Amino acid sequence: MSAVKFLNDILAVTAKELRLFRRNRTAIVISLLVLPLFFTMSLGAGTGEAGTSFSATAHVPIAFVDNDMTITSGRVYSALSSSGDFNNLLQGYREENAIALLGTGKIYAVIVVDKGFEDDLLSGNKARILVYADDGEPSLDTTIVSTVEGTLLYFNPSVDVQMVPVEGASQVQIVQKGAIFSGFSVGLTIILGLVIIFATFYEIAGGISKEREDGTYARLLVSPVSLGAIMIGKTLFDLVLNVIRTLFVLAISVYLYGARPNTDFGTIMVLSLMIALLTMGFGFMISSLGAGVRAVIIIEFFLILFLFAFSGFIIDRELLRGISKSISFVLPWAYGIEALRRTILIGQPLLTLTTQLQFIILSTAVFYGVSYVLLRMSHERLAV
Amino acid sequence: MRHIVGDSITVTAKELKQLLRDPISLALTIVFPILLIQIFIVIATAFGAPSYDIPVVLADLDGSSVSKIFVDKMASSPLVTITQFLQTDEQALRAVERGAVTGAIIIPKGFGDAVLNGRPAYLVLQTDNSKFTASFLVQAAVSSSIASTAQELFDKFGIMFGTQATPVEVISRPISGRPPSGDAILPGMLGMITILGAFDDIVNAVTRERERGTFTRLVLSPVNILSVYTGKMGATIVLNAVRTTLMIIIFVLTGLVIRGNILLVYLVTSLIAIFTLSCGLLLSSRIRSSSTLTILEIAISFPLFQLTGAFQSPELLASGGRALTRMLPWTYGNEALRRVMYLGLGFDAIATDVTILLISSMVILPIAALLSKRTM
Repeated sequence: MSAVKFLNDILAVTAKELRLFRRNRTAIVISLLVLPLFFTMSLGAGTGEAGTSFSATAHVPIAFVDNDMTITSGRVYSALSSSGDFNNLLQGYREENAIALLGTGKIYAVIVVDKGFEDDLLSGNKARILVYADDGEPSLDTTIVSTVEGTLLYFNPSVDVQMVPVEGASQVQIVQKGAIFSGFSVGLTIILGLVIIFATFYEIAGGISKEREDGTYARLLVSPVSLGAIMIGKTLFDLVLNVIRTLFVLAISVYLYGARPNTDFGTIMVLSLMIALLTMGFGFMISSLGAGVRAVIIIEFFLILFLFAFSGFIIDRELLRGISKSISFVLPWAYGIEALRRTILIGQPLLTLTTQLQFIILSTAVFYGVSYVLLRMSHERLAV
Repeated sequence: MRHIVGDSITVTAKELKQLLRDPISLALTIVFPILLIQIFIVIATAFGAPSYDIPVVLADLDGSSVSKIFVDKMASSPLVTITQFLQTDEQALRAVERGAVTGAIIIPKGFGDAVLNGRPAYLVLQTDNSKFTASFLVQAAVSSSIASTAQELFDKFGIMFGTQATPVEVISRPISGRPPSGDAILPGMLGMITILGAFDDIVNAVTRERERGTFTRLVLSPVNILSVYTGKMGATIVLNAVRTTLMIIIFVLTGLVIRGNILLVYLVTSLIAIFTLSCGLLLSSRIRSSSTLTILEIAISFPLFQLTGAFQSPELLASGGRALTRMLPWTYGNEALRRVMYLGLGFDAIATDVTILLISSMVILPIAALLSKRTM
């Protein structure tokens, strides 16, 4: 078989896939529009824009009960309300009435400045602030308490303007280094990975399974086109879709939410396509096992859940232990996600991520190799 | 009326019989929520673990007795593991930049002397903030080690020092009275499993029936379309009750104490299931392929974890997200489940949530039925 024929076959398969895709309006809308748009916009909805500072507690209705009624307790209120973290502090409640409202959704926490607050501070003792919080709302109580603690960390009862660090004579300061990233920027790496893996797996594994169920796959295999050309043709087709998807996610992130990746566009695209190739290899492998469309969908769902739990999507891999850590270690997508983070957030050059790149390339090669062997076997069965 | 009720029961029985005959679907109905909840428990456990092995490096450029005490405290921290002791600050900073470790702690020369002589002292901490939670825990480990060092110096030598201690102590009083844990997300997880389950059981079944052509035959049979939908809803409620029971058993086995009335939990999950069914039927009237519908379901479900307050309170979202969350009736279902299961509140506290779910279903279901009929 000449190289020209092989190349022509690849292009023919790619063209056929693109033609089929173009005829399926629903697939175009879901794959290229709904997925990138919905995922990126839900990230923006959750974390706010990349360039702006976002405080999760800023708009949460919180009652402020001042039982001390002194200048100092008034300064606590001023410190909280002017911090930008508590823009919805409600005054005028009695302590018991405010606490009774917790759990109803009208207010979510009650900050109580106890009687004797000023006296404690002026006599050099630790003064107490009680925070009653609706812990039925996930993460809300811990977020409010830690934000109150952070705001009052350097509280000085003698001044009106707070947040001036008090340099004690023998204090130890922690000088922190390392860039700080917005929630949206961190989320962008997750969303990009998620959109690519989610769509790519279904397009390859689901596509082949559907063709198998329709009966067109067997016909394709017995046509005078080699298996290698079919696999590469489908890969090329899906790479085209992934270029469009990556562009779309980046365009929404940059132009709508103000994201500023710390690396160049080429690096993001190369990494995205490497993750896509890895997922395609896995997709080919699953379809080579003869899975039906329904099975593919179920596998897809669990693949994404697995990635959520073990690849660093939500939980940093450093927090995993035991069997979870081992799973994370062998999960090739975890290295892709890490590479996305290190390039987009930290700006590390792609070629310095040798471990991650080697793992992705090796896994991709293994997936493609196994798929080829298994598909070849089913091809021979068909020929017999 | 009796005719409609009788037909509805027949359709319910037919749906359940079909499910029993399909071992894969039946296994999925049982196994799917168990696997799903196990993964959620892994996530919740990882966030609430008492100790971690987050890798850090340390460069003690001081080498004094005070810095050695601090190093000992860092080494015994339950949050971090010192993987390497380095000689220079450049090596330490480089280790973080390379991504080899999450944090680097540098004790500068003169640290011990400054502490012993009452002068301001400082430590340098470099963290890889692309790892959001891990870097936060490294900071906590350093702060805690400084506090322990201060305590030991005070106990042994009567020397007082510490981080810039706040004069105000913030005491947290959660209204549930429960210790802090990841359990608060479990009711939301039940809500999400209910959504996915309801969608998968019946909506996909309807689409598959459409693909096979049996749905048209069912609609053309002498059964009112209302009975068809009510019957399918009945099957959803039965399957949902089985799933909810399974989930409650798993929650109890993993240590969650359900405080409220269990019947209210069944009521809320049933309403979530009915609303999901209504939305699913609406979608299935436009999208005919069952696989496309399932993919769309999965694609939508992941953002829903955030937008329905399953993982995180909707109140903590940005303003756009909060508004979107409040437009989704599922949010009220998850909220009601938390209030009943976690806080132990009664029907009064969830009446609004229940009403919103009910009204939303009553609005969407007739539209779905109408659109479905038009597609025949």
